[in-house]
Amino acid sequence: MLLFVSVSSKAKIKGLEKIDRLFNTYANSSFGMIDPEGIEALCSDLGVDYTDVRILMLAWKLKAEKQGYFTQDEWQTGLKALGVDSLSKLKKALSDLEKEVEKPSNYEDFYTYAFRYCLTEEKQKSVDIESICELLNLVLGVQFRPQIDSLIEYLKVQNDYKVINSDQWINFLRFCKEISFPDLENYDAIQAWPLILDNYVEWMREKHS
Amino acid sequence: MSNQKKRIFQIEAFKNRVVVDPKYAEKTWKILEHAIHEIYNHNASGLSFEELYRNAYNMVLHKFGEKLYSGLVTTMTAHLKEISKSIEAAQGDLFLEELNRKWNDHNKALQMIRDMLMYMDRTYIPNTHKTPVHELGLTLWRDNIIHSGKIQSRLLSTLLELVHSERTGEVIDRGLMRNIVKMLMDLGSSVYQEDFEKPFLEVSAEFYRRESQKFIECYDCGDYLKKAEIRLNEEIERVTHYLDAKNEGKITHVVEKEMIANHMMRLVHMENSGLVNMLLNDKHGDLGRMYNLFRRVPNGLAMIRDVMTSHLRETGKQLVTDAERLKDPVEYVQRLLDEKEKYDGIISLAFSNDKTFQNALNSSFEYFINLNSRSPEFISLFVDDKLRKGLKGVSEEDVEIILDKVMMIFCYLQEKDVFEKYYKQHLAKRLLSGKTVSDDAERSLIVKLKTACGYQYTSKLEGMFTDMKTSQDTMQGFCSSHPELTDGPTLVVQVLTTGSWPTQPSITCHLPFEMSALCEKFRSYYLGIHTGRRLSWQTNMGTADIKAIFGKGQKHELNVSTYQMCILMLFNNADRLSYKEIEQVTAIPASDLKRCLQSMACVKGKNVLRKEPMSKDIGEDDSFFVNEKFASKFYKVKVGTVVAQKESEPEKQETRQRVEEDRKPQIEAAVVRIMKSRKVLDHNNIIAEVTKQLQSRFLANPTEIKKRIESLIEREFLERDNSDRKMYRYLA
Repeated sequence: MLLFVSVSSKAKIKGLEKIDRLFNTYANSSFGMIDPEGIEALCSDLGVDYTDVRILMLAWKLKAEKQGYFTQDEWQTGLKALGVDSLSKLKKALSDLEKEVEKPSNYEDFYTYAFRYCLTEEKQKSVDIESICELLNLVLGVQFRPQIDSLIEYLKVQNDYKVINSDQWINFLRFCKEISFPDLENYDAIQAWPLILDNYVEWMREKHS
Repeated sequence: MSNQKKRIFQIEAFKNRVVVDPKYAEKTWKILEHAIHEIYNHNASGLSFEELYRNAYNMVLHKFGEKLYSGLVTTMTAHLKEISKSIEAAQGDLFLEELNRKWNDHNKALQMIRDMLMYMDRTYIPNTHKTPVHELGLTLWRDNIIHSGKIQSRLLSTLLELVHSERTGEVIDRGLMRNIVKMLMDLGSSVYQEDFEKPFLEVSAEFYRRESQKFIECYDCGDYLKKAEIRLNEEIERVTHYLDAKNEGKITHVVEKEMIANHMMRLVHMENSGLVNMLLNDKHGDLGRMYNLFRRVPNGLAMIRDVMTSHLRETGKQLVTDAERLKDPVEYVQRLLDEKEKYDGIISLAFSNDKTFQNALNSSFEYFINLNSRSPEFISLFVDDKLRKGLKGVSEEDVEIILDKVMMIFCYLQEKDVFEKYYKQHLAKRLLSGKTVSDDAERSLIVKLKTACGYQYTSKLEGMFTDMKTSQDTMQGFCSSHPELTDGPTLVVQVLTTGSWPTQPSITCHLPFEMSALCEKFRSYYLGIHTGRRLSWQTNMGTADIKAIFGKGQKHELNVSTYQMCILMLFNNADRLSYKEIEQVTAIPASDLKRCLQSMACVKGKNVLRKEPMSKDIGEDDSFFVNEKFASKFYKVKVGTVVAQKESEPEKQETRQRVEEDRKPQIEAAVVRIMKSRKVLDHNNIIAEVTKQLQSRFLANPTEIKKRIESLIEREFLERDNSDRKMYRYLA
């Protein structure tokens, strides 16, 4: 009995050790966490571009607070949740992670997280249009290509808004999911959509008339 | 007593059967039959009612009711056939008279016969479910006379001809008609309807159809309606005289349909005489007639109302967009007031104060007054004009009347907050220049505005009045504490509380030495009493009275603005000054400076200064001199007052922008208020509630409301509900 426990706890400690070791490979020793440079290195080792959406998904899984940084806690918790303790396992886990994120129960959470992740300054509540466009492309581009392309075009030409807040962000997703495209037939401007989307729809309708 | 045999009485059956003599029935019947004959031959006086009654009674009693009844039927029928022949024989007019006479006779006879046969009526007839005597008499009359081939159609056509004659103006025997019609009614409603009423209504419809067609071609609307009204009244009168009163509605319905309903559209839209023409010319009589006639037909009033509404909206729209009229705001508003009064008159005199028309009037006014976004400004200018001079010499009651009328127009404004802004500006100018005709009138209007819009609307305005009063007290205090100032220039200061008065950013110009010293004294005095306050001189307002002596010794007292005073005082120490010098020394802003110089150098009768060159406009290289040759009939000369004018374009933009800015916090406050009490509310309801709450000040734009809501979400006052995106949630 005792033997069993000690073996598993040994295994646990061993597993944790491996995770920590992996952490230290990329961590910046003076900060005690993985910084952007480290992440870049991790990415190249994993064979993905550091702008790849899977890195964002990894950050989500790790529940990383600050963009471009992984703390040791986050690393440990995240990798344990993924059930990996080596680079090769991590690589494999990334594709599984994609499927996990796409599950409807997780997707909205991931989507909201993506926005929060961009709030780099303290008390920052909105993200500039450029970054939003990139983020939209990254996060929703695959699933909603035509909508996103059109929306990004609009965001770049309009000048009512210079930044996007979280309320508007979350509604972009809802818009893509609920509104038929490109006819936008079931869009009702009298409903509680954010004004920016009312303006977008009007712009679209004018373009196509 | 010995034993006697008791005799028992035995009652035996009557062995002799009473046999009524079979001839008895026949004999009795013959008596009755004879009586009936006599009755019909007007010979009833010789009969004994008692005997006849007894005979009939006996017949029924002895089971000869059947014979009696059928005999009655036969006899009566025979008589009626005779009567029918005599009626048929009657010629021309006598036909109806004969019919009437015979009917009366029949009724009398029937009465007597029924009395005579009352026992049968009460016993035999109910038992055998046969028709009672009286009813029988009517039925037989109906079948043998009215429905007889030779009489039926003749009767109907005679009656209809008579009605037609009457309609074409002839006089007929109404009494006779009444009797005949009553006869038909007595014979049962189906007889009345089938044998008279139905055809009567058809023929009447045809008559009125033709007549209305004729009329509509030759008469104009007003005259046509007069004719229709006459015809309608005629028919109503006809009913009271000889038709079934219960069915008056049927014939009036025919007239209404043929004469009015069928031609409604054409009448209302008739060129040069239709509804619009009547409205334009205040033809109250015709309008009232139209109203009374049209209310009888479905959609009649709706049609009048709709045409009136669209006409009113059209004229109103022209009124408010007429470029000529827009040049004179007072005239503009006066026209609005006149139009309102005109329609109020029409509705009360011709449309009997119908509420639906009143509502149509209100909605039309609200529609077109708000088409012109300058309406709030113009209404304020109108009031300004009235309070400056228009109401001079007007009695208190009349002042109230005028102000109430203006208030009615004011209530149509959707942008009441714009009006408030202008009103404040105009009121400020009036108060400061002391140019108001009546303090009471001013206050009365404030009270009316308060009633219409709430106390918040007027609290600042009232603050302005308070400041004026307080300033007076302050001046008194200043003067009594500085008795040495009675020589030298007098200073009158009005202290305005920032916030109550319309803000006008201004740079204080440089005052002449004599004045600045005095002003300093006042400032110290004031700040001594009210520590912690800040005073800034508003040199763009204010006036001065200066005594001037010109070249030939002419003495005048000049009433000028503060700026103008600064300029003129410079000439005490210099004969000639260039524009640039004046600008530099006085520090008056360029546009104001130009206007001041222009009013002092270029306006005939006020040219206290002379300008070189003598051009109309002020150039930056111009030079100025005192006009030694200045002449005026009057000792006191007023040079250019600051009067409330229509705003210039840029000023207008600015005011509009300030109004928009002010609206934002009001919208937000409304949203927060509503969400705080409701906690959770959906989008459409918020928009509706907010619009309702702000209605008394302005019409809130749903897009703007949405923007404010989003701003509040960003600042975490509200959030969207997670599951139902249409709902908002209040965050405490």
